[in-house]
This record gives sequence, structure tokens and C-alpha cells, in this order.
Amino acid sequence: MAQTSTVARGGGDSSAPARRRSHRPPRRSSGLPAWVVPYALLLPGLLVIAVLLLYPLYQMVDMSFHKVGLRQIRPNPQPAEFLGLDNYTQVFQSDLFWTSLRNTVTFAVITVALTLVGGTLVGLLLHKLGKKMSTFVIVGIMAAWATPPTATAIIWKWLFDADAGVVNWALNLLPDWLSSLVFGRSDWSGQPWLNDPTTIYLVLIVAVVWASFPFIAVSVLAGLKSIPSELYEAARVDGSTPTRTFRKITFPLLKPVFSVLLVLSVIWDFKVFTQLYVLAGGTTNRDSFNLSLWAYTEAFSAPPKMGFGAAIAVILTVIMLIITAVYVRQIVRTEDVR
Amino acid sequence: MKFGKIAAATATTTALAIGVAACGSGEPAKTADPQASAAASGPKYAGQTLNVWRLGAPNDVQNKYMADLDAKFKEQTGAEVNVQWIPWPDAQKKWTAALAGGEGPDVTEFGNDQVAAWVSQDALTDISDLVKSSPDFQQIPQNLWGYETIDSKVYAAPWGGGTRAVLYRKDWFKSLGIEVPKTWEELVAAGKKIVEKKGKDVDGFAFNGGSDANMSLSPFVWSAGGDFAAFEGGKWVGKLTDPAFKEGFQFYTDLVAKSGVSGKSRLSQNSVDISQRFAAGKVGMYVTGGWDIATIKEQSKGKVSEDQMAFFSLPNKEGSGPAPAFQGGNDIAIWKDAKSPELAAEYLKLAAGKEYGTRYAKEGGLLPLYPDALAEFASDPVQAPFAETFKVAKGFPASPNWAEANDTKAVLQNAARSVIEGKKDADTALADANKELETILNQQ
Repeated sequence: MAQTSTVARGGGDSSAPARRRSHRPPRRSSGLPAWVVPYALLLPGLLVIAVLLLYPLYQMVDMSFHKVGLRQIRPNPQPAEFLGLDNYTQVFQSDLFWTSLRNTVTFAVITVALTLVGGTLVGLLLHKLGKKMSTFVIVGIMAAWATPPTATAIIWKWLFDADAGVVNWALNLLPDWLSSLVFGRSDWSGQPWLNDPTTIYLVLIVAVVWASFPFIAVSVLAGLKSIPSELYEAARVDGSTPTRTFRKITFPLLKPVFSVLLVLSVIWDFKVFTQLYVLAGGTTNRDSFNLSLWAYTEAFSAPPKMGFGAAIAVILTVIMLIITAVYVRQIVRTEDVR
Repeated sequence: MKFGKIAAATATTTALAIGVAACGSGEPAKTADPQASAAASGPKYAGQTLNVWRLGAPNDVQNKYMADLDAKFKEQTGAEVNVQWIPWPDAQKKWTAALAGGEGPDVTEFGNDQVAAWVSQDALTDISDLVKSSPDFQQIPQNLWGYETIDSKVYAAPWGGGTRAVLYRKDWFKSLGIEVPKTWEELVAAGKKIVEKKGKDVDGFAFNGGSDANMSLSPFVWSAGGDFAAFEGGKWVGKLTDPAFKEGFQFYTDLVAKSGVSGKSRLSQNSVDISQRFAAGKVGMYVTGGWDIATIKEQSKGKVSEDQMAFFSLPNKEGSGPAPAFQGGNDIAIWKDAKSPELAAEYLKLAAGKEYGTRYAKEGGLLPLYPDALAEFASDPVQAPFAETFKVAKGFPASPNWAEANDTKAVLQNAARSVIEGKKDADTALADANKELETILNQQ
């Protein structure tokens, strides 16, 4: 497995950069010492990240150790009281933490799995399609991806409306025996989908998968295009089945792509907010909170407890960082073996 | 630790991102430090702009009123007025964002029950002197300054008095032969009949379970003799487990769970959601204030006209009179961070003064606070139900923490939801809610 990929990568790009590198010395006329150049080039990017990401992140962590309300963040702020770990203890003692955590994790696991599997399958399909058809499908699915989250959520909210929604109407069209056999009921009129956390999350999963699989599909497609067709020809000659070809050729070669997509999906799905906010109808249904929505509610509903909200956000961030770190480490290790 | 403006702005990004954004994008980059003594000739404040936040959804009548008021203000002071309309359910979040980001209004409308909570956040300017020096304000009866006076300082001027009554479809009542309900039983019967005749997706009497649900629940529990909490022996004691509270609560949840006069799928709708459904001809009755008539008329684009709507006072259980409803009202206040407090004071004096204050109340469907104008009101058929209810109106627990129970934790909304969905019975739900309410109200 490892061998094939080495061949593919090495064959692709090892010689070209080397040649380019040999042209470099004459160009070095800026007067900067060689070791400075990369850092100088990194600087603007780092600055932007520091201002837009690191500083707010630092503020969030700092807030989570303080009692921060409106008085403390106004233009002429009062000093915030240092609470130590009080905010965190309170978070862990709250019943809402455990329901929110459960909702967040369950949702992320299911959604990431569905998005990746669905996206990959569509990606494979796109690879098989002819040029025109494939462009057509790509444009179609990218429209779903490009739809703003609020719009996505509202569309799905309408589809699942209890009285006027297409979903209940369609379920009612099913023959009674089939409906009773599969769902144990035949009358769907007025079935409320957006009351109970379970069904809210069902709709949420559908909405989020719908909006995020196209990105996976297109990324997988891009990866597929880079696999030399000789490998597939060889596999065909050897009489390999499609599943086996996928397992032995496609998947190993696309592993780096999948790794990145997995990490991205985990991050996106852990912090989903907009769609849930719209589907749950605001912040009154607290059984359906996930960590983001709970943090938002605590931090911004009256009276704002921003320190407490920040503590929840920090916990969410730490969970995501752990997952990502473990995974990235794994990727790096596999790369080392190569 | 000093939290800079950047941090605050970042913290509010979430709030802004989901469409509460209008505030941040108002930015008519005014660098103007108040140049009060700038122009010697002509109006004193020429060239300045005053940001005014109004609450609710604007309609033609209100826009006309604001246009008149602002024109008059410009004539007096030379300053322009920039009006922004904030929907009621969003108001708390908008003020939060305004305080945090420092980009707030100069003058804002306020719900009178919210004044205390926001004064405790240092959001409003003390206007005691202004009130004392204004002959107009001295005409407003003293008992109407209760919500606005904190530690004997006045932070807002009452603008219009309001309470809640039931808005109903007069034409439906007529065509279905329903009389205006005089008891709770008749109320349910009327609701059932509407659902039966107008379709299952219509709410006979709409259940409010959203951010302002307690406005709709409270008349029922108060009428049954219950209350939310009482301040006893130096701390708040929850009263949710009282049989009287339970009776009202049970009746309210049964509107959905038993009698089905409101759809089970709409448990988290707030009064704005309901008014939109009312405009679409999907609601027969619901608890709201007088301002909704004009908004609904406009939103329905002519489908629901004024003469198809009317109010009645929610009856008490036995039918011996109106049920006590939430005693509300709107105030006008000067924001603490106002760029030119003097200009803001001028605006407040004009808007809440006798001429424009009375017009504000009358045209906005509220009760005027000037005694002679109020006297005319009792004979007005639209306003009579409010005038009647106003006499027995009550308030929510006067604790700054009430907002957390009502808003952040939505204690009673969630209790009602769990009862309606059959996850808890009313006793367990209320016992749990009571414990939570006490913890919230008694925290420091």
C-alpha cells in the first residue's frame, strides 16, 4: 500500500521542484539574508491570523476565568472579577452541559460519517460521468453548498412544516400498509418535527449533510483526477472488482485528501449554529441546545454572562483541538513511515 | 483586566452574524464630538444626527408619526433623526450588542418592565432633573413613574401605557356564530369551533411558548389567584407549586395538549410569529397589545382589515370580570453612551411631551398617560378592553434576575413544553421549574 503511493507521488513531482530550485541563486538580489526571506514572507499572514484569530481566542480564554457582564466590556469598562475556575465548575455542574455535549457529539459523529460517505460516492459518480453531465451535476450540487446556512435552514424548516410541509404530505401519499410497516403509523398530518430534540436533530442532520456533501464530492473528484489511469487499467487487467479497486487503489491514494476532509468536517459539524438556531426556533428549547447554541444563549440573552459563555466555548474548542490533534498526529506519523 | 473594544466586537460577532446585524451596519461614520456651541445663528444642533431606536414593526401610522415628530424636532434643533426599528423579541440582544460594541442609540424606546434590569447594567442616563423641570412631565400622574424610578432617580419617561388583551377575528366570530367568551370554558369552546371550521392548521387560540410566553401565560395564573414568586423574608420564594398557579398553568398547556385549540407543532412561537400567522389568516385569537392591529393590517396586504379584528379582555375563570394581565407600557430613555446627551434630552422632551406623547399612545394603540387624554379613551370601543384590564393589571417579579428566568433559561416555556409533550406531569414540571426559578432569582 505504502509503496504504490510513493511511486505515484515521487513520479509526479520530485524532479520538477529540484530543477526550479537550482535557478534560484541568481534571483537573490534583495539584500536580505537567506534565512530571513521565508519569515518575511510569512509575516503578513501571521499578522492577519494573530489579529483576527489569536487575539480574540486569547480574549475568550481570558474572559472564561472572569465574571464578565455588560459593565465589563463597555467602552469605559469596569474591572472584571477574577473567578479562577468557577465558570468551568459551573459549566460541568449544569445539566445543560451534558445534554448539549451529548447532542453535539452525536450530531457530529453521524453527520461527519454521512457527509464523507455520501460525498465520496457522489465524487466517484462524477468521475464516471461524461464531461457535460459532470459539469451539470457539479453546478447543481455546488448551488446547495453555496446556499447561505440561514437560507438552508429556512428551506428545510418549511419542508418539514407540520401542516403545510412537503414531507408530511409525501409521507401521507405512501400506501397505508407500507407506511404502517415502516414507521408504525399511516397518518402524518400535523406531525410536528421541530418540537422534540431527536426530530430536530434528524432534520438538522439532513440539512447539514445536504449543504456540505458537495464540497467533499468535488474535493474527492479533484483527487481522483490526479490518480494515473494506468493503475486502474492494471487493476482491470488483473480482474479486480470495483470495491476492491476502491479499497486497494483509490482509498490509499486519496488518504491525504480524506484526512483533511475529515478534520474539516469534524470542525464544521462540531460548531454548527445557524441551522440549529433557526430550526429550533430561537433559544427557548433548551433540550435541543448544542454547545455553541448554549454558549450563545448564556453569553447574549439577558442578563449576559459572557464569562460563562466563554467557558463553554473554550471547552468546545478544546474538544475540537484534541480530536484534530490526535488525528493530525496520526497523519504525520503515517507520512513519516513513508 | 481591561477588555478592549476589539474583544467586545468579536464577542458580539455571533449575535451580529445571524441577522441581528442591522446595528453594526448603521455606521454613518459620525466623528462629530458634540459641538453644542458651534453655530451662532440658526438652530443650535444643525448638522448633527440623533440615532433613535423604536421597538416593534413599523407600519404606516407609526411611520407618519415618526416623520411628523422628526420634522418638528429638526425645526426646533436643526438636527436630523435616524430611526431604526427593532422587533420586540430582538430588543434585549440588540441592547446587549449596543452596550458591548459602543455603537448604540442616543434615544431608545423601552419596555417599562425592563428599565430596572438595564439600569443595573448602567445602560441609561439619569433624567431626574429634566423630568422635574418639564411642565409637561409634571402632569403625568406620580403612580405611573414606578417602573422608571430606581433609588429615587428617574431613568426613563413613560410614553404610553399598555396591557394585553385578546385580539380576535371579529368576522370569524360572526360567521361562526361565536359570542365573545365570558369564561375560560367559553374561550376553549370558541377556539375548538374555529379549529373545526377553519382547518386543522389554524390556531383557535394561539399558544405562545417563545421568548415572551409569560405575557400570555400570566393572565391565566393570576386570574386563578397564583403568582410566579414572592419576596418573603429577604429572599425570593417560588410560588409555581401553588395549586392556584398550577390551575392556570394546566389550563394554558391544555390549550395545546387536551383541547387542541393551538397546533402542537408551534410550541416555540412568540407573539411576533403569531401575529404573522394571524395576518395570514391562521389564527383566531391570541394575547397581545393594541399595537398589533395596524401591523397585521399592513402585513396581510389587505386580507385582514381593521374591521375584521377586535379585542376583548381575557375573562377570569368564572366570568365575573377581566383576568389581570401584564401591566406593561413603553418608555423613552436616553442611552448612557449617547453622543450628545443634551440633544437627546431635547428629543425626549418633545417626544414624550403632551402633544407627541399623547399622539404616540393613541396612534400606537396604547393608553395615553396624560389624564385628560386618558379620560377620552374609556369610551373608545377599540381601547375600552385595555382601559378595563389596566385597572387590574399586575407585574412580574421585580428582580433584575427575572430576565434570566424568562429569557436565558426560559424556565416556564420549557416546563410547558415538557408537559405538552407528555414527558412530565404538571406537578413534576412545576416542582422542577420552581426550584430552578428560586435559584435564579436568589443568585447574586
